[in-house]
Amino acid sequence: MSKFIIQVNSAAYGSAASYSAYRFAKSALESGHCIEKIFFYQDGVLNTNQLNSPASDEFNLQQAWVDLHNEYGVALINCVSAALRRGVLSEVEAIENQLSHWNMQAPFIMGGLGELVTGIETADRLVSF
Amino acid sequence: MILHLIQSSPEQSSALKTCLRYATENDCILLSGNAVNSLLNKEWVRQLKTHKVVALQEDVHARGLTNLLKDTKLVDYDDFVSLSLKFNKVISW
Amino acid sequence: MKKLCIVFKQPPHGTAHGREGLDLSLLSASFEQEVSLLFTNEGVLTLVKDQDPESIGAKDYIATLGALPLYEIDTVIVCEQSLLELGLTESDLRIGVSVINSELISGHLNDVDEVIVF
Repeated sequence: MSKFIIQVNSAAYGSAASYSAYRFAKSALESGHCIEKIFFYQDGVLNTNQLNSPASDEFNLQQAWVDLHNEYGVALINCVSAALRRGVLSEVEAIENQLSHWNMQAPFIMGGLGELVTGIETADRLVSF
Repeated sequence: MILHLIQSSPEQSSALKTCLRYATENDCILLSGNAVNSLLNKEWVRQLKTHKVVALQEDVHARGLTNLLKDTKLVDYDDFVSLSLKFNKVISW
Repeated sequence: MKKLCIVFKQPPHGTAHGREGLDLSLLSASFEQEVSLLFTNEGVLTLVKDQDPESIGAKDYIATLGALPLYEIDTVIVCEQSLLELGLTESDLRIGVSVINSELISGHLNDVDEVIVF
């Protein structure tokens, strides 16, 4: 059993790479491997915008991440500085920035870029998408 | 021993070009997403010939390219996970 | 401690790739990882002198390159072939770098623990 960290750098909609990251993560977990965390960086933070509203007959990638968390307890961590710049905020950042709305909540959590670095340090393998 | 992951076609990004500049004979190149399209182009096929190349089966299938790429070794996501551990690192170009 | 190589393959200012790559480079170094940088393809343009990114509404992250020694990032590699393709020489660059060929770069990529491409 090995320990992975998965970095997601592309948007949920408009790029196939995030879906591929999800499939890889699911396959790794089903094979008995551990995923230390899934880290959303660059446009990857757009996977965590809870206002994403795909049509009902389309694959809901954001829900798929949530399901993966619910089933395997995988941590879903957003890079906070990348998220803020792309309009993805949790309640904490909304309050800090005097905004009345936010669009990110549990099980996604905000973390610093340091979370990626410590994750890379402790994981056996980094795979970026 | 590196697994090189290419996710975009050579028309979209310099990923394949850059990877080919640095990949060595012990490495493997995994083509996923639009990157599988590079196997239709004679010039890229020629450059890939000297490397171990695999393509993600479902991306080939989804694009209707299974018959056109029948000489290519195809892998699924479980194989992809195994390859990512068999090699010393994965570089996503 | 891991050896991380951060690769800059995209040109500056048109996208946020270079900027976010530099953020990760500095942060990794401050978390005491052994960080090296590789500039390849149009990514080498990140290093060109006399840039004025703020004049196009972009952040001047290029100025931060001068801080690399403070973060103990001493290995800054530039792909020789990429410089040639763009008609640049080392004297066009704003910081001291190691210009090396593809073969040596392959060796470096093999030596480090992880490679992250921007």
